[in-house]
Amino acid sequence: MRTSHSVRQQQPVNMAGVGFQRLVKALAKSKGSGLSVLASGCRAASGATKGSLPGPFPKTPEERAAAAKKYNLRVEDYEPFPDNGEGYGDYPKLPDRSQHERDPWYQWDHPDLRRNWGEPMHWNFDMYIRNRVDTSPSPVPWSSMWKQLFGFIGFMLFMFYMGEKLPSYQPIAPKQYPYNNLYLEKGGDPAKAPKEVKNYEI
Amino acid sequence: MPSTALFLPSCMMLIFFVLLYPVLTTFNPDPLSPNWALSKTKTAIKLAFFISLFPLFLLFDQGTETTITTWSWTNTLTFDINISFKFDTYSCIFTPVALYVTWSILEFASWYMHSDPKMNRFFKYLLVFLIAMIILVTANNMFQLFIGWEGVGIMSFLLIGWWYGRADANTAALQAVLYNRIGDIGLILMMAWTATRLNSWDLQQLFSLSDNYNLTLPLLGLILAATGKSAQFGLHPWLPSAMEGPTPVSALLHSSTMVVAGIFLLIRLSPMLENNKTALTTCLCLGALTTLFTAICALTQNDIKKIVAFSTSSQLGLMMVTIGLNQPQLAFLHICTHAFFKAMLFLCSGSIIHSLNDEQDIRKMGGMHHLAPLTSSCLTIGSLALTGTPFLAGFFSKDAIIEALNTSYLNAWALILTLIATSFTAVYSLRIVFFVSMGHPRFNPLSPINENNPAVINPIKRLAWGSIVAGLLITSNTLPLNTPPMTMPTPLKLAALIVTLLGLFTALELSTLSSKQFKQFKQTPTLHHFSNMLGFFPHIMHRLIPQTNLVLGQAIATQTIDQTWLEKSGPKATYSLSLRPITTTSNIQQGMIKTYLSLFFFTSLLALALFLF
Amino acid sequence: MSSFGRAFGVLRAGTGLLRQGPGRITSRKASGGPHIEPQYRQYPQLTKNQKFESELISGAMWFWILWHFWHDPDAVLGHFPWPDSSAWTDEELGIPPDDEQ
Repeated sequence: MRTSHSVRQQQPVNMAGVGFQRLVKALAKSKGSGLSVLASGCRAASGATKGSLPGPFPKTPEERAAAAKKYNLRVEDYEPFPDNGEGYGDYPKLPDRSQHERDPWYQWDHPDLRRNWGEPMHWNFDMYIRNRVDTSPSPVPWSSMWKQLFGFIGFMLFMFYMGEKLPSYQPIAPKQYPYNNLYLEKGGDPAKAPKEVKNYEI
Repeated sequence: MPSTALFLPSCMMLIFFVLLYPVLTTFNPDPLSPNWALSKTKTAIKLAFFISLFPLFLLFDQGTETTITTWSWTNTLTFDINISFKFDTYSCIFTPVALYVTWSILEFASWYMHSDPKMNRFFKYLLVFLIAMIILVTANNMFQLFIGWEGVGIMSFLLIGWWYGRADANTAALQAVLYNRIGDIGLILMMAWTATRLNSWDLQQLFSLSDNYNLTLPLLGLILAATGKSAQFGLHPWLPSAMEGPTPVSALLHSSTMVVAGIFLLIRLSPMLENNKTALTTCLCLGALTTLFTAICALTQNDIKKIVAFSTSSQLGLMMVTIGLNQPQLAFLHICTHAFFKAMLFLCSGSIIHSLNDEQDIRKMGGMHHLAPLTSSCLTIGSLALTGTPFLAGFFSKDAIIEALNTSYLNAWALILTLIATSFTAVYSLRIVFFVSMGHPRFNPLSPINENNPAVINPIKRLAWGSIVAGLLITSNTLPLNTPPMTMPTPLKLAALIVTLLGLFTALELSTLSSKQFKQFKQTPTLHHFSNMLGFFPHIMHRLIPQTNLVLGQAIATQTIDQTWLEKSGPKATYSLSLRPITTTSNIQQGMIKTYLSLFFFTSLLALALFLF
Repeated sequence: MSSFGRAFGVLRAGTGLLRQGPGRITSRKASGGPHIEPQYRQYPQLTKNQKFESELISGAMWFWILWHFWHDPDAVLGHFPWPDSSAWTDEELGIPPDDEQ
């Protein structure tokens, strides 16, 4: 879906998907050159049509220019995904900016998506539409926001734990302690110790 | 007395039919008359309110409570779902309050939404919402309650997204519906648990059968449900976002009725809750955290509706604290009194917003005391009632809650947070009054200030009288289930008042400070940012969680799994597997007659072998 | 409640206010809607009735608060004094003196 919307084909670009080609190459290596003719003649049984798939990773400057033109980008803006076999092909790696971050006052062709016609789509465009992930810059840096929020929650949880250990209640009578209400422990004079009050008899 | 036992259900049924009638008229294919909204809807609600007074008076006079079961909806073996209504103290008091508030708000909406081309539909939505709310309140089994629960949820989605042309309104509506769905997971968990363990959804049976079980899991589900619906901490960001909807919607749904549904659920099921220490402590801590966090957020907001929304959230946290104290009746009392003044605060802010060319920023208001005297008087009354000024509506519930807090055995930190949040209430309430009513006008000189319309004045006045007297009326006529603590040291008795006054004087001091020019002192914007950006909660959560989910989903589902299927086990694997045999078999056939003959020979040999053995 | 307002409304707008019917909104002022013409740099159109009602409702609130303070201060200040257990005498508690065996 993504590519079929985004790539406006201007010239029929070469070949099927990258993965397919790799597979063909692997097969061709073992079996000799006669087979590659056979393989390129058949098409993948599933997936998008050849025309809407990204082409192979551009290696030469000419291929780069062609790919940039295909995606309606200037050559200096065009930056493909690294060719590490994840199947991105020549798809451009656009900056991770959400649609919501864009200028709301500009006359967009599609104001609701804040998008112009024929503009290349981000690989994760579905994530960056206006009511999903918003990457607008905030007055406070992300790391600091993150620390403050989770610091706040952590502090609250810790204090609730402490509050659970030290609950609040209204005592009815003053607290009583053993050993004559801790008379000696509180630094009372042993000579003048009052007689222990006995409230019970066993 | 048999006559009252008959009279009460018939009154309540009559309310349902009166309210349903306008909805039924919309099934008529003819276009509705432009007056339908007022002539049918508002009249129906007004009538229903007067009808609902009879059960209320019966309840006050004789304590009549009844439960009726009318019709067995469906049953599977021993599991029955009936249509069953419960007309007890809670539903008999809440129904008139909800109807009174809705009546006022609809009248106000007829002015506020006057230029809206789809006013009839707007009123219909509000009416359907009200019916769902009354179903929820009167339900006697979980299934019926669930219908009302989802009904208010979906109507809230439709009404928040009323101005659907704006992406912000859409996002807010989506947020509301998604956060509520998270809560629904809890409610459905609880319902599934009771259905499997207790084999019943009837409230009485739930209460009587649940004694022998460990209820922690279903109760935590229940608390999750209340967290979602009542915007407690963690699932709260949808409530301030919901202010994208029209002001009457904010007044009705997001202050006085729908958001209290979560609390109401816990009140309804409090007999299950009251013996489970874990659940009560969770409620207490969650409520305390909510009431403080949202009060902090309210302190520095500049949008008048956002301030009122956050104060709603803070009050909901206070109700949750009360549930955690095992005082459901006090929480219910706070729901009822809160409905009056919070609805009125929203109507006042709606009137002001409209008068100032849809300006919502309180920094661009000012001087409304002279320009719109009635609205600003009522705004002041509502703020005072909210802060718990003695003998206004808020006092009777809020003071009782703080007293119960002070005299109970509870988590000390929860108590501290609640008291701090109480003093913050005074700060942000004063802030609204200070910026809106006092000072000099700071708005556009071309402003259509006009509160001189009965459709504006009457609802606000009605609710203002309600927020003056409702507290005393309700408290003096209901019998508390728990004995409230009557004796306590004076500092504890005055605690609520003292912290409120403390907040009030701090706010006054700060506001006079800000009206003079001082030399620039060192700014510490960290706290301001924390408060003004809603504690960073929406920024972090609304980015972190969807981003993680979507990126992982993309990487796992689309790339890894799909490509594995395609290339390693699906079509391409079949292709590469069959390539070798195909090559082999086709390479054989090169027109050599000996090859064909030997193939024929081997095949017949094989067939013969099969045939013989 | 609103009947208060309506009674005074007669002073201002004559019978227009008393008509509580559905047609009220659509047929109000000369401007045709519920909204008046915006005033540019002018004091808004206030009526005496509005001022009176705002005074009335604020006054009613203060009357309600003060009246209850006068008649029912217990609700704020506490219904019963907190018992001071140290002030209780043995006689009151029925404890016999220590020397009595």
